[in-house]
This record gives sequence, C-alpha cells and structure tokens, in this order.
Amino acid sequence: MAFFEQHIHEEPKTFLSKYIFSYDHKVIGKQFLWYGIFFLGVGGIMALMIRWTLAFPGEAFPLIGGLLFPTTNGVIPPDTYAMLFTMHGTIMIFYAITPILIGAFGNYLIPLQIGARDMVFPLLNMLSFWIAFVSAAILFISLFIPLGAAAGGWTSYPTLSTLIGSPGAGQTLWALALFLLGISSTMGAVNYITTIIVLRAPGMGYFDMPLSVWGLGLTAILNAIFLPVLGAGLLLLIFDRVFGTTFFLAGAAATSGTGDPILFQHVFWIFGHPEVYILILPAWGIVSDLLSFFSRKPAFGAKATALSMTSITILSTLVYGHHMYTTQMSPLLTQTFMTLTMTISIPSAIFFTNWLGTLWKGSIKFPTPMVFSLGVVFVFGLGGLTGLYLATVTTDLYLHDTYFVVGHFHYTMAASVLLGGYAAIYFWMPKMFGKMLNETLGHIHFWLTFLGLNGVFMGMMIVGYGGMHRRIYNPFVYEFLEKLIPINTFVTWSAIVMGLAQIFFVYNFVYTIFFKKEKAEANPWGVGTLEWTIPSPAPVYNFKEIPVVKCGPHEFGNPALTGDRDFQYQTEEIPAT
Amino acid sequence: MGIFSPVLAATTAVNNSQMGLIEMMAPPEDISVHGNLIDWLFAYTTGMNILFFILVCIGLFGFSWVYRASKHPKAYYTYGNKKPHIMIATAVGLSVFIGVDMNITRIANNDYVNVFTKWPKAEDNPVRVEVLAQQWAWHFRYAGSDGVFNTEDDIVQLNDLRLPIDRKVILQVLSKDVIHSLYFPNARRKVDAIPGRLTRIWWEPTKAGNWDIACAEMCGTYHYRMKAHLTTYSQEDFGDWLAEASDKALQVNDIENPELFWGWQWQW
Repeated sequence: MAFFEQHIHEEPKTFLSKYIFSYDHKVIGKQFLWYGIFFLGVGGIMALMIRWTLAFPGEAFPLIGGLLFPTTNGVIPPDTYAMLFTMHGTIMIFYAITPILIGAFGNYLIPLQIGARDMVFPLLNMLSFWIAFVSAAILFISLFIPLGAAAGGWTSYPTLSTLIGSPGAGQTLWALALFLLGISSTMGAVNYITTIIVLRAPGMGYFDMPLSVWGLGLTAILNAIFLPVLGAGLLLLIFDRVFGTTFFLAGAAATSGTGDPILFQHVFWIFGHPEVYILILPAWGIVSDLLSFFSRKPAFGAKATALSMTSITILSTLVYGHHMYTTQMSPLLTQTFMTLTMTISIPSAIFFTNWLGTLWKGSIKFPTPMVFSLGVVFVFGLGGLTGLYLATVTTDLYLHDTYFVVGHFHYTMAASVLLGGYAAIYFWMPKMFGKMLNETLGHIHFWLTFLGLNGVFMGMMIVGYGGMHRRIYNPFVYEFLEKLIPINTFVTWSAIVMGLAQIFFVYNFVYTIFFKKEKAEANPWGVGTLEWTIPSPAPVYNFKEIPVVKCGPHEFGNPALTGDRDFQYQTEEIPAT
Repeated sequence: MGIFSPVLAATTAVNNSQMGLIEMMAPPEDISVHGNLIDWLFAYTTGMNILFFILVCIGLFGFSWVYRASKHPKAYYTYGNKKPHIMIATAVGLSVFIGVDMNITRIANNDYVNVFTKWPKAEDNPVRVEVLAQQWAWHFRYAGSDGVFNTEDDIVQLNDLRLPIDRKVILQVLSKDVIHSLYFPNARRKVDAIPGRLTRIWWEPTKAGNWDIACAEMCGTYHYRMKAHLTTYSQEDFGDWLAEASDKALQVNDIENPELFWGWQWQW
C-alpha cells in the first residue's frame, strides 16, 4: 500500500548523527523515552513535596528539603507550593506522559507495526524532538528566575495568569514553553497520521493494524486538531502579558474591561478535554493488544473496540463544557454538555466488555506487561465510573475544585496511563534494547505501584468528598477539614510507597540496558505482529523486505494451525478450517 | 529521629481522633434545605458505580483465575464477532447508558432546573447579599434599611457573613481581581466569582451555628487562607443583629470614601 519506494537508509557512522541528531524513528523514540522518564522523576518528586506539605504542614521536607529551600530550613513555603503543583501538572501531562506514550511509543511502534522502514517525514520527526527539548529547557530555566516559575495551576486561568495575578516572567515562559511543545507535538501528529495512511505494508487494511496503532493514530488526529487551539489561547495570553492587550482582562482593577477571562477557559477546555483522551487513547490501544497477546486468543470484538475508540475521539471534542459548570453558563449549555458527556459511557462500556471478553476463555499468562495491563483495566474502571459524579451538574456543584476531581483525573490520566506506559516498556523492551527486563523486579514494581496509587487516588477522592478543596497549602486552617488529617497522612504514605516502588523500575531499567549481557530472542512473547518478525533489537532499516500482510494482528489459537506455535505472524495466511 | 517525627505525629492524630473511618469520610454537616438532593444523587451514583465495578472485578479477577494458563491451556478461538457476542456488548453499553447515565442526568437536570437555578423572586423576600471577592478576602454587602444597594446605609462586612435560617438567601458574586469561587461546604454549593461577570447562587440555611466559607478556585499564593466565617442565626437573632448592624453602619460608614461604594444595583 505504500505510495512510494522506501529506500534502505545507510547506517549513520558518527556519534552525533547516530544518537543525537538522528533521523531514525527508533532512536528518536528512545530519546523521547529518556526525556519522559527524566521528567516523570522530576514531576514525581514534586508530587511527593506536595503530599508532604499536605500531611505534615510546617515540617521540613526530608533529605533534599534543606538544600532546595534553605531560607525556610527545608519547609516548603506557600508560594513555592503553588509553583510545585503548577509545575507538577504541567510536567506530568506535557513532559512525561506525552513523550513516553506518544513521543516514544508512537515513534517506535507506528513504523514497525505497520511494516514501514521509517516515518514519512524523518526530518520533521527529528525537529519534533529537538523543539520539545528547547521547550523543556525553557520550562526548566523558568524555575530559577526571580519570582519563580508559573504558579497559577496547570490550567493557568486568567486573570490570575495575567500581570494582575502573576507579575514575574515565569508565567510568560510557561506559556512560551507550552506553545513550543504544541508545535513539536503537532509536527509529530502530522507525521504519525501521514505515516499510517501512506506507509502501511501491502495487504494491511486499517482493521489489520494492531489496536496500539489505532490508539496512537486517533491520538495524533486529536493532537493535530486541538493543540493549535491551545497554541492560539497561549499566544493571546502572551499578548496580554507582554504587549498589553486585554483579551482576557475584564472588570479587574485598572483595565478598561473589554475582554473576558471566561474566553480563555473555553479555549483551554476545547483543547483540554480532548487532551485527556490524547493521553489515554494510546494506553487503551496498547492494553487492548496486550490483553489479547497474553490471553492467547484474538482480541474480542477488535473492530468494535477500534470503532468505540473512534467514537470516543469524536465525542471527546463535544463535551468540554463540563469543566465549567461553576462559571454559570446558560442552563441550556449545561444540560447539553451533561447529556453529551454521558454518551461517552456507551463506547466505553463496549470496549470494557471487549476487554473482559478477551480474557474470557483465554489461556492467560501473567508476565509483567500483562499484570500492568490488567491493572489498567482496574484503575480505568474506577476512573471512568467516578467521572459520572463530575459530569452530573448538581453533584459537580459540590465536588468541583475539590480533591475528588484530583483523585478522579489521576485515576484516568495518571494511574491508567502510567500503568499502560509501564506495560508498554516491559513489553517492547526486547525490541527496543534487545534485552528483557527482570520479571521478579517487574512484579514487585507492579504490586507496590498498584497498591500505592490506589491508596493515593482513592484517598484523594475520599478527602474530596469530605469537602477538601484543591490547591490549598494548608487545609487545616479550616475547621471542617480537621478530621481529614489522618486520611491525608495515609495518602502521603501511599504516595511515598508509590515513589519508592519506582526505584525497582529504575534499577531494573538501567541495569538491563547498560549491564545485562543476556540477549533477548527475536520474538520472546510469541506474538505475530510485524515488529516481532525482525531481529531484536530492530535493525536500522527495520524490514529488509517490506512485508506483505495476510491476516490481522491477533491470530492466536486457531485450531487449524499445525506445528508447535499457537500464533501466526501477520505475514502468514490463515489456514482454512 | 527527624524523619520519623511526622510518623509519630500522624499516629497520635489517629489515636486522638475518636472518629471511625466512616464518620471521618462523611462530608461536612448539611445545613441547607436542598443539600440533601446532592447527597442523595451522590449516594445513588455510588451505588450504581459499585454495582458495575463489582461486575468489572468479577470479570477481571474471575476470568484471570479461572482461565489461567495452567488450568486452561487451550484458548477458545473466537473474534467475538458472533451475534450473541455483539448483543452482549451492546446490551452492556445500553444498560449502562439508559439504566445509570440517563437516570442520573434526568434527576440532576430536574434538580438543576427546578431547584438550583429557580432563582427566588422579589415576592419570596429572600435575604439579598452582594459579594465582592478579592485576593484574599470576601466582602459581603447587605442593602441596609432602605433596601437599595450601594447607598450609605449599606452594611458591609469583611470575611463575615451572617444569615437567618428558614429564609432563602440569594448572593450576587463578583470579583475585583482574579477568579475566585464562593464555596459553602455545608450547603454543598459553590459558584465562581469572576471579574466583569456577575454570577448568582441561592440556598436556604436550616440550622443555626458557625461554619466555614472557602475559596475553591486557585487565586494566588494565599488561596488557602481565603476563608470567611458564616454565622447562621434564628430569624429573631438575625433581626437583632441586622438592626444593630444598620445602626452601626449609619455611624461608621464614611460617605466620603469611594472605596466603600463597590456595590452595584441589584439585578433580579
């Protein structure tokens, strides 16, 4: 199906062209992976600082507190606290999850799984990484300037994020960094979409693509449409801050009052709600594949799963108003957004049924990628169902801006995506680095992370229902929140367990890549998608000959299969029964 | 010791609170006529969610156990595209949508239209309060004896709202700098305070006492300290307080001070 001849690239010789300014989608994927893991660590430590402050107000942050906050003897001051949660949100969403799932696995998997030698636009791909790098550098620098980094929450609502509420340069740099990152992600998205359309191997129809590619492709479509919307909003914000325009200023002191702060919320959430699905769709796709691979049976209703993901992609663009119920939109809009939001549960319920249907009558094995995938089903179940309270206008009037919201979106965006990302790392490790991660450490990592994250996010929902609102430095200045001290402490301890669990992963990952001698086989999991037909790690040119696809990605346990394999490669014809 | 002292503090906190976990998890006491609607819908949704989540868990853990490879070495070969399979998936989707979602939507919609946005009219004689939010304080303004806002007999309070029970109260809310959110945890309600855009909230207290008002929307460094006090009085006590406050307002209000006249004309 390729529209043009794909040449075999020569192997780059110099260090610079091989590891730094590489055109190879596999190297760029790995660059994004390291970038994402680094920021996952930074964002995670920020999360621990936030949790520490909430559970033990006034206590010095252990170990590194004295170093980071010398003027207060290691205690996190309130303005730094605001900076921390703003940066935690920004970093985790845009600099950790996006690069790991979309940057790393999007780059790595799309060409390999559709049987292409590289992306359509390798140069654009390289630019996409290096613009993301510049963006990260700007964000990082903003932490060290006078008055500090942005501190208006990751949503940065005006007028707080205009000069009225944030005088320093931090907020401007924040907007600039995200604007650049938007450009980078849009470049990536255009590349992914074009690659999927143009470079699928001969014989591969859209429904013959693995569901991972479906997830990544749909994400790319949302990215290409909605990141420019965010870019527009951020640009207007930069104008307001730097050039004295008043797009988002109104009624506030010393302004003529021609703009409207609510306008920014509309623009932000038109992008912001699809963003949730941008983050989760790749994880859904990967999990749908892995459940089938390790149940050793075809994905149940794969076509319906793909179509459900597509309809969620479309619906996700029509529901953003449920973030703004308390701004008192017209009741007609409120009702419309509530009803539209609810319709998302139809496709969600269908693919949940399909996930469980995949397990049904399977022959299930439990290596690390599979337990992580099952973990995703569990946490996304919780995350999806708790969304009902927030889509419902009356319960949202109480729960909006409380920790219930925080717990809910962490279940959907953080827990599911984190577990999905880990599943992907454990699963594709042999293909990326030619070595297998240690299974025992992997299982320990899973269970500690899983217990920790449920403690954290369930605890957050409980204190949220108890009335604790978000983004407060010390909740215990309120009488009605005093009884929640023990639960907050419990949440913090769970967060510490979750944080420490990542040490198992970091050790396992670093040891395997740099010190482990044992090489992985070409196809250690016994899976038939195209990337497993080539050696591990994948060679520079991916496929010596462009494969011809003859069946779908989930051909397991066909009774007509002869020989000792229970699966077949996508390049093989299905035997007639 | 250092690192462990918070652990000890936490343990003491648990021991000192004589509260059970369930009691600890309960939301703040409901002191409004209609807060129970929100609590009821929350409980109903929770019931439905638990039901469906149990089904997910049965599938997840049950299938994982029953069909583990050691017990079930040969997987059943199906694409899940047979008629019964499709019917089950569709039935689950529709039952969630119709049974849970549309039910919740209908109830929430009824409550929203018939209660929460059914604004009290002049003939209901509600208590009218104008609220101005700023970093980081709440100003409350009562019309005073002439019943007209922004005049010199207005009662203006800082971080101190007083309301009678068993009478509707309607608050018009505005912000003078950044977005805030007027949050009554005990009434289960909040509404954003936005610069340049008037928002409204109404409710009816049922119990006299002392309560907290908070700002729910991030509004800067001291967001967490943007706290106001709510006192609810019986109707007689409120009348006494109002009379006293009106007298005081006439004495202390400095009509030369333009800062005092931040109010606006009441908009029914």
